[in-house]
Amino acid sequence: MSGNALLWHAQRVTGALLVVLLVAHFWVEHFATEPLLRGELTYEAIEQRIRTPLWQAIDIAFLAVALFHGLNGLRNIVLDYSRIPPPLARAVTGVLTAAGLLWMYWGVEAFRNL
Amino acid sequence: MKERLRNYRWLYAGMVAHRIQRATGLLLLFYLFVHVRTIHKLSEGPEAFNEALAQFRNPAFKLAEIGLLAVVILHALNGIRLTLHDMSIGHSRQREWFWGGAVGVGLLLFLLGAVPMFLSGVMRGAR
Repeated sequence: MSGNALLWHAQRVTGALLVVLLVAHFWVEHFATEPLLRGELTYEAIEQRIRTPLWQAIDIAFLAVALFHGLNGLRNIVLDYSRIPPPLARAVTGVLTAAGLLWMYWGVEAFRNL
Repeated sequence: MKERLRNYRWLYAGMVAHRIQRATGLLLLFYLFVHVRTIHKLSEGPEAFNEALAQFRNPAFKLAEIGLLAVVILHALNGIRLTLHDMSIGHSRQREWFWGGAVGVGLLLFLLGAVPMFLSGVMRGAR
């Protein structure tokens, strides 16, 4: 499989994963506990969960999958609607990859003081 | 010719679906940015995080949240539809899959979530 075919395939796989992860995320953040069910989202309401290393790992993995799917989708849009030569296309890929890594770091950093 | 092209765009669900998928995808990526920005406030402690959350309590944001639900459902169901098509499932009934499977089922799911959200979020907040 060539690089782009692999990306095309990965877009489907991460999409399917995201459906499951997002439903679970939605459930955990809105229906799992009493305060959240009442719509009272506060630091205290989620503190116990987000202090748990396993949950942090799940959230970080979720972010990684979402970022890949989102930024790869953005790459598809940019490359479809522009007629740029391959070197420039590679530069787009590079910029989006760097943005993804920074974004990832930003997300992981949220757990810094927990 | 122009007339025909215009018909083509709307007659074949794939064209509409393709644009919807890209537009909603961009919106979701933007939302992910805003979301991580809010979650990042966790690192500044309880006060900063609760303060950041407080700005989302006003009815305008509650409405935007309902819009987000619509966008998520549409993108997810349309994504499932196109993935199934890629696996050559549903080729002979593309229009039905799009309008029924993605838009119809989506609308139902959306209303299921949006009505309680509106009643508890927007109405209660407005009072």
